[in-house]
Amino acid sequence: MHKILTIFSLFINLLATGQGQPSMVNIKGGIFLPLYSLDSQKTIVQPFLMDVFPVTNEDYKKFILQNLAWSKSKIKSIYADTNYLHQWNTDTSFNENIALSPVVNVSWFAAKKYCECQGKRLPTVAEWELAGRASETKPDASKDLKFNQWILNWVSKTNPKILHHVGSTFKNFYGVWDLHGLVWEWTFDFNSALTTGESRGNSGLDNTFFCGGGSFASKDINNYAAFMRFASRSSVKAKYGVPNVGFRCVKNKIHS
Amino acid sequence: MKNILTIITLSITVLFFFSCKENKESECCKKDKNKTEVGTKLDNTNESIFNLESKWVRQNKDSMLLRDLSNKITVAAMVFTHCESACPRIVADLQRIEKAFTKEELQNIQFLLISMDPVRDTPERFAEFSKELQLNDHWICISSNNDATMEIANVLNVRIKPLSGGGFDHSNTIHLIDKNGNIAFQQNGLAQEPTEIIEKIKTLIK
Repeated sequence: MHKILTIFSLFINLLATGQGQPSMVNIKGGIFLPLYSLDSQKTIVQPFLMDVFPVTNEDYKKFILQNLAWSKSKIKSIYADTNYLHQWNTDTSFNENIALSPVVNVSWFAAKKYCECQGKRLPTVAEWELAGRASETKPDASKDLKFNQWILNWVSKTNPKILHHVGSTFKNFYGVWDLHGLVWEWTFDFNSALTTGESRGNSGLDNTFFCGGGSFASKDINNYAAFMRFASRSSVKAKYGVPNVGFRCVKNKIHS
Repeated sequence: MKNILTIITLSITVLFFFSCKENKESECCKKDKNKTEVGTKLDNTNESIFNLESKWVRQNKDSMLLRDLSNKITVAAMVFTHCESACPRIVADLQRIEKAFTKEELQNIQFLLISMDPVRDTPERFAEFSKELQLNDHWICISSNNDATMEIANVLNVRIKPLSGGGFDHSNTIHLIDKNGNIAFQQNGLAQEPTEIIEKIKTLIK
């Protein structure tokens, strides 16, 4: 009996991997307190499913092959700048050694489209941060000095010429790989990272406004790593391709 | 025996699930192919906001696409109608621009308010809002869903931060959009002297 079970589960696993779909894991919901908020703004995050790995060049190629309008040469400039898929040799090819590295130089529009085509979506900042505060052993390691130091060490290093493959950093408490240590990731509402000061008077969109208002209002000024993610989100635009920004998708949990 | 049956049923369900998923995917991609065909017509104006496929609802409940705006030049701003300070001010700024033009000139100009609060800014609410602020026929107020709202905000480079009280912090920008859907000019900040944007509009309606 057990044997049959094993064989069947193997069979199902094979099917699943055969689909080339990176599997997803469950992230427990919770409360997210934005780092930069003055008004103790709580966001309640519902449980959701998150991709175990960031999207790789290989994954992205499959998407391009079915959506040629999103290839390097065809993409509309409203959706991406000239950095788009800079690391690819042609519309559909790249050096084999980056196949399993996270895809970078993709715009927010392209990342959003990719997730839509998988029946998924980009995570919100709150969802990403909730998953991202888990260390290998704890669901919330945001106060863990060692954990934060590890992330900071990564942030302060220059990016390797060839990004490491997905699954090369660590698997967190929820079973998600590479939230830290490989690339930064797009979020659906990245553009909400603006400090309250900005709306008064002028909206200097391109100013590095986070230094003034942001640090003041910061919830947890010891968490520099989260602070840097916030700063980075407020400095990019949706059509930018950035050499160290990739993405992964999430999905709502379907309640049965 | 029962167990084996259960397992077989389960695995069939799993198979079924995957095949459905597959279908969904190709549908999404098929849809995209249709979209591209429409898009290629606009190819010379790649930066056009008329490329966006999102559907919008006007204050009179008519639905529309952004490319339906192509018969006039558009002066646009993102707003939410439940806001107390900045939004009436940005509408006032738009009205100030409107006043600079003659009736004849206004035949070629439309004023567009795009909601950043799709949940509360229903067509009914926008109709009420139009009455309150005495917006005439040159004004179009539209809302869509969360996705489309975020997309247009990113295309227009407007930053939006929801606040716990239900409001938003946001950039205050007035966008001048030509008949091809290209952003011709952006005026940043509230209560600016609108001289420059008025000049730009004049050159566009010539």
